[in-house]
Amino acid sequence: MLVELRPTEKLRDHNNSVVGAVLGSILHAVEDDTLDLSRLRIVCDWIQYRKNFRDPIEIRPILDPSGRGSVEIAVDLRRVAGKDADLEGEITRALARRQDARRLYLESWCPTTRSLIWSFNALYWKHLALWETVSGRSYEQALPGGQSDARNTAGARETILELFSIWDQLAARRALPDQLHVLELGVGNGNQARVWLDEFVRLDREQGRDYYRRLHYLMGDYSPHLLEMARNNVQKHADHVSGLVLDAMAPSKTLGFLKYKAFFVYISNVYDNLPTDEIARINGHNYQVETRAHLRLEDAERIAASVRTNLEDLPDLIMKLLRLGPELVAETYRDKFEDVLGAVRFWSDLWDALGLEERYVPLQPLDTYEIAPGANGEIMRSILEANGDLRMHVSNGAVASFIDTLPLLHPHGFIQCHDLFVTDVEQYATGFRGPGKYDGSVVNWGNGPLLEAIGGRRGFIVDFRKFAHRAGSNIVTMTARVRE
Amino acid sequence: MILPTTVVGSYSVPEWLERAKTDYHQQRISGAYLREIYDVAIKAAIKDQERAGIDIVSDGELRRDNDIDYFLERLPGVEIPHRAKSHYYDYYEAVVHRPIPCDDELPAMGLVEDFRFTRRQTDRAIKFSFTGPFSLSKRVRNEAYSSDADLMLAFAKILNREAKLLAQAGATFLQIDEPFLAGYPEQVELAVKAINAVVEGVDVEWAAHICYGNRHARPAWEGHYDFLFPAILEAHVDQLVLEFARKGYDDLALFERYHPPFKLGLGVIDVKNPDVETAELVASRIEKALAILPPDRIYVNPDCGLRHMPTQVAIEKLQAMSAGASLVRDKIFGRAAVHA
Repeated sequence: MLVELRPTEKLRDHNNSVVGAVLGSILHAVEDDTLDLSRLRIVCDWIQYRKNFRDPIEIRPILDPSGRGSVEIAVDLRRVAGKDADLEGEITRALARRQDARRLYLESWCPTTRSLIWSFNALYWKHLALWETVSGRSYEQALPGGQSDARNTAGARETILELFSIWDQLAARRALPDQLHVLELGVGNGNQARVWLDEFVRLDREQGRDYYRRLHYLMGDYSPHLLEMARNNVQKHADHVSGLVLDAMAPSKTLGFLKYKAFFVYISNVYDNLPTDEIARINGHNYQVETRAHLRLEDAERIAASVRTNLEDLPDLIMKLLRLGPELVAETYRDKFEDVLGAVRFWSDLWDALGLEERYVPLQPLDTYEIAPGANGEIMRSILEANGDLRMHVSNGAVASFIDTLPLLHPHGFIQCHDLFVTDVEQYATGFRGPGKYDGSVVNWGNGPLLEAIGGRRGFIVDFRKFAHRAGSNIVTMTARVRE
Repeated sequence: MILPTTVVGSYSVPEWLERAKTDYHQQRISGAYLREIYDVAIKAAIKDQERAGIDIVSDGELRRDNDIDYFLERLPGVEIPHRAKSHYYDYYEAVVHRPIPCDDELPAMGLVEDFRFTRRQTDRAIKFSFTGPFSLSKRVRNEAYSSDADLMLAFAKILNREAKLLAQAGATFLQIDEPFLAGYPEQVELAVKAINAVVEGVDVEWAAHICYGNRHARPAWEGHYDFLFPAILEAHVDQLVLEFARKGYDDLALFERYHPPFKLGLGVIDVKNPDVETAELVASRIEKALAILPPDRIYVNPDCGLRHMPTQVAIEKLQAMSAGASLVRDKIFGRAAVHA
């Protein structure tokens, strides 16, 4: 038996008797079970996201390449703390789910990147205005701290002055292009763009550089609603701003004209919201985490009843919602939804109840696993093989975005990204890094060491620093610039 | 032959070769094993060029990790404290502590063996390239000389000796690559002085290749070739090999303005973009140069080395280049009319 206790720092601050209680209850509960204790893994997390995809106790099959399967019992210590009385019962019920899951499955087992949670995620950004109407708050208010760290004047000033310095040097060599391109991916409501542009104008005037005249600020976002808000927000800079609906995972598709021209690419709170797989190293073998989305049977029955449908028809209605969106689905199923907002409430109920079951399947060989176009799993080898047992995110969407953004950079350009990042592989063994639910979207921490390795292979130095301009923020600043 | 086709030097490095190189640096395979892999890979690279119709071929520079390290580890007096690399393409950190000795007793750099190996594999003409003293000096910490210019000239003397050995071994076409020069436009005069020291007394066709960098298939600098002029006019070389396909052909006007005595190695293939050019596009690019230079002063080549292109893409690009040159030759000699 192997016990992996991840939230070591958290348990220092709390009564850690919960761990003893959990282990004792598990041992007691498995006495009557057929589990092979010598191959049992117990993994204890402290899931900081109050809304997430897991039950407090989950049972995960590990499909062994040798055919001798084993099991991982995954415990969310935060939610089982204080439940001592029923802990054993909870574990027994979780074990019993292997025979009778009492879950309505919405998809077959698949790598997490292909799970329908990402369809929910896309739906959120596409129909954000409706979601905000029902939730009664803007997406930015849902962020920890109530606003994005991107709206920080001091941070903006730092990058603008760096750009001035680069442009001064190029101008001295007659190598400064006529247009100075800056790109923001994931522009949100445009607050960051406004702060940045206002500060740019102020510094440009103060220092007499006259770069604003040549500045072209490109705003890209997946959400037309946010892009429209952003456009309105930067109205006074309209002559210098263009807005483009684009896929953050493939910016070059839309921005091919920008190749080698962008001096500064700014990305805030995007990578943590892009699809990711998870890979695990267990006992010297590599595994892929497969997932399948489900609803607990009692939740499924309640939600089905709320839209006057039965359990069998519920999955089909959910797929329709994901494909058509709330407006069209409300129009199509007038017998089930009073209006569009009724369809949004259905969506919101589903999202709250949505869970992910997990299992580990063997992954071999690494070079046949595609992280993103242009990057295969071989690049993960040194990380996986140097760190013992490990479960980490692959950050496929972030990697795809990163790889596809690099060619846009001018030889003297750089990327700055504010987001949630694991900056040391060790952090996977000491904390929970997702997936969680942020409002109606998915959140996962980006795999910093992997991005660093991928950037390194492409001639970039990728470094990570704690966000310097707000104390207590979890946000990390990632910077990528040409190494030599 | 007019409008001969050639390469700049490096050829596609397949992923398996990259892995073998990295494995060598991490002591997972031996040097002897890697040398055998190189021999086979170079034979294949030469065959690919021949089949693509390239008139003047190279060994693809496949033995070299990058444009710098192969030379630094062979230059006397250059110390490389740590030779392990996490990835083969990374540069070494190199230092020169003491002035570099230069006499005939010092061992040669071994480039002659590389040339001879290539010579044995093909009957075609060969271009043999090596990185010039200017760029080499930019990757070395100079603790021996009071100025970087002195370090550069010391490297130039060693390279001159090596060039003489190459000429004695039968090399007829040598190229000096200066991939870093575009980053130091104010130092062109110095670079030219160093180039002239390399070519002195070596009677071969000399080319100088100056581009905007091709590290990781990205330009390292941007700008225009006007920084080369007029200083480059003093270079004792026969041709300039320049990058145009990616950037456009506006800088051809510099040949009209300055009337340099050189032939032009005309870049007609973009080596940073995997989209394969058509023969017609290549032909139109050659015709742009023909509006300014006579055909006997133009060599047709890619913008830079093909090392970052996948092998199949590299082959198709070279085929397109050959076919494009043929189209123009046919036009010049009126063959199209004869065929019709």
